[in-house]
Amino acid sequence: MRKLAVLGAGGLVLAVGAAIIAERPTQAQQSPAKPDSLTAWVLAQGDSAALQGPRQPVLFRHDIHAGANKIPCQYCHYTVAESSEPGIPSMQTCMGCHLVIGGTDSTHKQEIKKLRDAFAKNQPIEWVRVHTVARHAHFPHMRHIKAMGPNACQTCHGDVARMAQVFKVNNINNMGFCVTCHLQRKVNRDCSLCHY
Amino acid sequence: MSDTTPREGIDRRRFLTVLGVTGAGAAVVSGCSTERIEKLVPYLVQSEDQIPGVATWYASTCTECPAGCGLHVRTREGRAVKLEGNPEHPINAGRLCAHGQSALQGLYNPGRVAGPMARQADGSFKEITWDEAIAMLVQRLQGASGKLAVLNGAGRGSFTDLLKAWTEAQGGRHVRYQPFSYEPLREASRQTFGIAEVPRYDFGRANYIVSFGADFLDSGWISPVEHQRGFAQAHGYADGAMARHVMFAPRMSLTAMNADEWHASKPGTEAAIALAMANVLLTERSGNPPDANALRGTLAAYTPEKAQQETGVGAEVIRRVAREFASNRPGLAVAGGIASQHRGAVQTAAAVNLLNYVAGNVGDTVRFGADLDGGDAYGETLALQGALDRGEIQVILVHEANPVYSLPRATGFEAKFRKAAFKISTSLYLDETARLCDLLLPNHHALERWDDARPRRGVNGLLQPVMEPVFRTMATGDVLLRAAQKVGGALAHFNATGWEAYLKSQWLKVLGTEEAWRTALQHGGTYGETPTTPVRLANGTVVTPYRAAAFDGAPEGESFYLAPVPSVLGDGRFANRPWLLELSDPVTKITWHSWVEIHPDVARRLDLQEGEIVRLTSPHGSIEAPVYVYPGIHPEVVGVPLGHGHTSYGAFATGRGVNPLDLLDGADTSGFLPYFATRVILTKTRRWKQVAKTEGTTRQLGRGIADAMTLAQAKQGLSPALAAAGEAAGPHEENPQPEVEAIGGWRERQLQKRQKGEYANEHPMWGMVIDLARCTGCSACVTACYAENNIPFVGEDEILRGRELTWMRIERYWEGGEDGEPLEARVVPMLCQHCDAAPCEPVCPVYAAYHTADGLNGQVYNRCVGTRYCANNCPYKVRYFNWYAYSKAAFPEPLNLQLNPDVTVRARGIMEKCTFCIQRIRGAQNRARLEDRPLRDGDVITACAQACPSDAIVFGDMNDGSSRVTRLKADPRGYHILEDLNVRPAVTYLAKVLNRTEA
Repeated sequence: MRKLAVLGAGGLVLAVGAAIIAERPTQAQQSPAKPDSLTAWVLAQGDSAALQGPRQPVLFRHDIHAGANKIPCQYCHYTVAESSEPGIPSMQTCMGCHLVIGGTDSTHKQEIKKLRDAFAKNQPIEWVRVHTVARHAHFPHMRHIKAMGPNACQTCHGDVARMAQVFKVNNINNMGFCVTCHLQRKVNRDCSLCHY
Repeated sequence: MSDTTPREGIDRRRFLTVLGVTGAGAAVVSGCSTERIEKLVPYLVQSEDQIPGVATWYASTCTECPAGCGLHVRTREGRAVKLEGNPEHPINAGRLCAHGQSALQGLYNPGRVAGPMARQADGSFKEITWDEAIAMLVQRLQGASGKLAVLNGAGRGSFTDLLKAWTEAQGGRHVRYQPFSYEPLREASRQTFGIAEVPRYDFGRANYIVSFGADFLDSGWISPVEHQRGFAQAHGYADGAMARHVMFAPRMSLTAMNADEWHASKPGTEAAIALAMANVLLTERSGNPPDANALRGTLAAYTPEKAQQETGVGAEVIRRVAREFASNRPGLAVAGGIASQHRGAVQTAAAVNLLNYVAGNVGDTVRFGADLDGGDAYGETLALQGALDRGEIQVILVHEANPVYSLPRATGFEAKFRKAAFKISTSLYLDETARLCDLLLPNHHALERWDDARPRRGVNGLLQPVMEPVFRTMATGDVLLRAAQKVGGALAHFNATGWEAYLKSQWLKVLGTEEAWRTALQHGGTYGETPTTPVRLANGTVVTPYRAAAFDGAPEGESFYLAPVPSVLGDGRFANRPWLLELSDPVTKITWHSWVEIHPDVARRLDLQEGEIVRLTSPHGSIEAPVYVYPGIHPEVVGVPLGHGHTSYGAFATGRGVNPLDLLDGADTSGFLPYFATRVILTKTRRWKQVAKTEGTTRQLGRGIADAMTLAQAKQGLSPALAAAGEAAGPHEENPQPEVEAIGGWRERQLQKRQKGEYANEHPMWGMVIDLARCTGCSACVTACYAENNIPFVGEDEILRGRELTWMRIERYWEGGEDGEPLEARVVPMLCQHCDAAPCEPVCPVYAAYHTADGLNGQVYNRCVGTRYCANNCPYKVRYFNWYAYSKAAFPEPLNLQLNPDVTVRARGIMEKCTFCIQRIRGAQNRARLEDRPLRDGDVITACAQACPSDAIVFGDMNDGSSRVTRLKADPRGYHILEDLNVRPAVTYLAKVLNRTEA
């Protein structure tokens, strides 16, 4: 009896979690350029801590870069098609544009100034990592881009082009998440494909 | 039972799932979480030749010994993680020995001197800045007024040229010093042919090899990888032919283990055999070189019978070997090396030169003109010692040498060295010599600096920095040039802007264009033909009258000859590398400490057993080490390995083992340092130390692990089983009918399994072939496996508990050696056999051990819960359990930087084993997929196969009919170890072939 109760409680938690996950896509299905009113309000306060996902040292707006400005993912994540690592853009890549682009409003200007100051001091910005594959698993990004095309990123990472601050949409360390896709697409799901 | 049958209760998997859920719940309650905040730090400026996640390779040159092999350095995210041979290089052709592999542990060694240091008044060292350090150097150089000496252990190259010119411009004395020099060979060549040069041996062409105490396969003699490649080519069985290798030496070394015949000769007498053989050739054979025929009279006195008296080797053996040597052209006789460097070493080498000349091998398998690098004569070192003793040296700089350790204590070098007022060391490590110095100017490691090497004519190797320096070090070339600018005067003309610019200018003088320089850099140097100078017998006395080598120390009787044993630690410079300390000695299988080899008869007589500590005493000192009873040593000899017994060389080496050089007489003036020259008295201490060896049962006991057959049997195309049964016997005995049916049914079920799910698709079938006729047991593969697969060392205590953790090991078994039969060694590289019907798989309760569709025996670390059932059920004992978090202790900073990012670092409580380098397989598959092509044979090479200097290991897809592995697997010599267990291993061994005279 007791075991059943424990399982029941677990099931409830799962159900609630599933409901939260299920809600997200509807939230994000608004116009690509403008964040929803809640996000806009949070951003106006100048503190991204209230947004989903870890707070980053510089509020890098994927929704502006990839969303509004339609910069292809691989412009910055330049090694994703050839390496297991997607490639975190160097500071130089950022400065390539931001040498000229200083931002339109005060919050943008403030963040871009952080970038310029850091670059001037030869100091890299230490981003907080959002997605980490467990150390005992190997995920070759390039194989997935090769198989699913250059815009396949959102399959795992969610619609980053609408995120003011990147957050985890899928638990990439839940092996079921990987295996489901491999099953659907009828590709190899041998343990040693990833675990070695 | 079909899958639809309802089961009672729960099966083992569900049981463990429930256990797992409960465990996870408990973890949540106690608030544990695996979520850690990680940072992603971007580059400021992206370097053009680095792609994160993809290896960048640099060509370089190995400087671990003077051989000068070419390197390809694999770097990931700006750090070197693996060294491999450069396939273009004429010396090593893509192969690399254990020393070369372990250079990474020199680079990331925690014992490195972290920056420039000066000695304080209280005797301690204080870190200073480079500007201060160079200012101190300059001040001392200005005050030295010519009383300067430099002891340089670096190989020949632009740096040594610069250092020599820099020293001599100040009126100083420059001495090149290599502990294991080839002085006797050079002197012998001067006596016989009038050319003072170390000969170059072409083992690959030889049809008959006779070694007179020369350990050409043991570590570090002249050009080990090249010798081994050649030896495998000559002595490996192919198309019904192979060379015969005969060895005369007092001890069965790794080289003698690979000989078809080993004859234990009395120490110091090899020359008598060589002269007797030359005599036999001259008297029995026509067509000898005319100038050699003139020696007939001189050599007539050296009969095989006389040689038998001297050496203890039978006259009929000597006569037979001489005849065979004459009829199997071209042959090759070799002498030299540390293990036979007694006072008669020059005489032995000269006699062997003569033998080669009479047999017509000189100019063919023995060539002069390569001008192999060997350092200055030992006399120069002695002269420097004299000058130090007389106080003629004020400032001494020691570069890449550790004479306080590597010269016998009896030379009194340490006391003489202390007499110099100011002592400077550029050593990377705080070794015995650096510890006495006043100023430490640590050099960059060879993988961090620009440099070059000229190991022989025609081969010019380049070194380039493959990564940023790990410590606050500076290339000594830069130190010299910066000091020269400040000192001015005679040094003012050293005005290059830096060491890199200087080196490049030296190369541009030869190459001419920037483009040629870039090409050279890309290929690791420039390689041309090595010239051959024809030689003739010198005028005058070519044959010095034979005299047995003299031995000092205790008188004959109850004393023993002390044989220095070449070990993987070389001259001691490798003793701070845990990979090599833990690497089982190829002969004795002992790790981590010193030992004393004693013949079983002597052990019986003296009532000694393995592990009893004995004291060896000579007039110059005494050492204590545990006994190892070794059937392969002459009864009058005791062997002690070289390279141990450091008093200051980092945490790994210090205080470990004993140094046999402490027993030697250093006051020798024969032009070289005789290492095999002392007799010692052996006393029992009645104390014990368990010998930390990885050797199990020393005999095969009929298990058929290391199979061998005679050359005649191999020519007939017999299988090892038929060869063992004898030619008369029929095929293998028939199985009774029920067994045949059972096996057939089992096979059928296995086949059906293969048609389901993943297995129904087309897959490669990975397999390996190991040719025991080529394998020498050198253990380069073991070190390569350590480097590739992040294998932690476990330490001496854990070895004593039988917990060694080497995914690949070399097993060594003895055959014969009793009742007058010759002693024979067999070696087998043992790794996971990736059995098709693996016994480890069905016993794993969590499916961590399982079979992949491409024929691998997979081991999923994150599933493993450490029951160790698999290891218990493995008949090959190739699964190793990670008892503690070994990797934490094994990779202290900065050694952790050497870890291969493609391989999981295993945690505690996990079973691990050879994966057939699955990371390389997956990497090659990924690359092939990106290039839209199928995998080709040779795309995947495991680390062991890549390193093997003998090319004994071949890896590939057994489903590909044209692959090399499939072709080799069909060889009639092929067999599986423990075949009757029916586990169907993916590793096929090709039986060793013994080329012996049939009685």
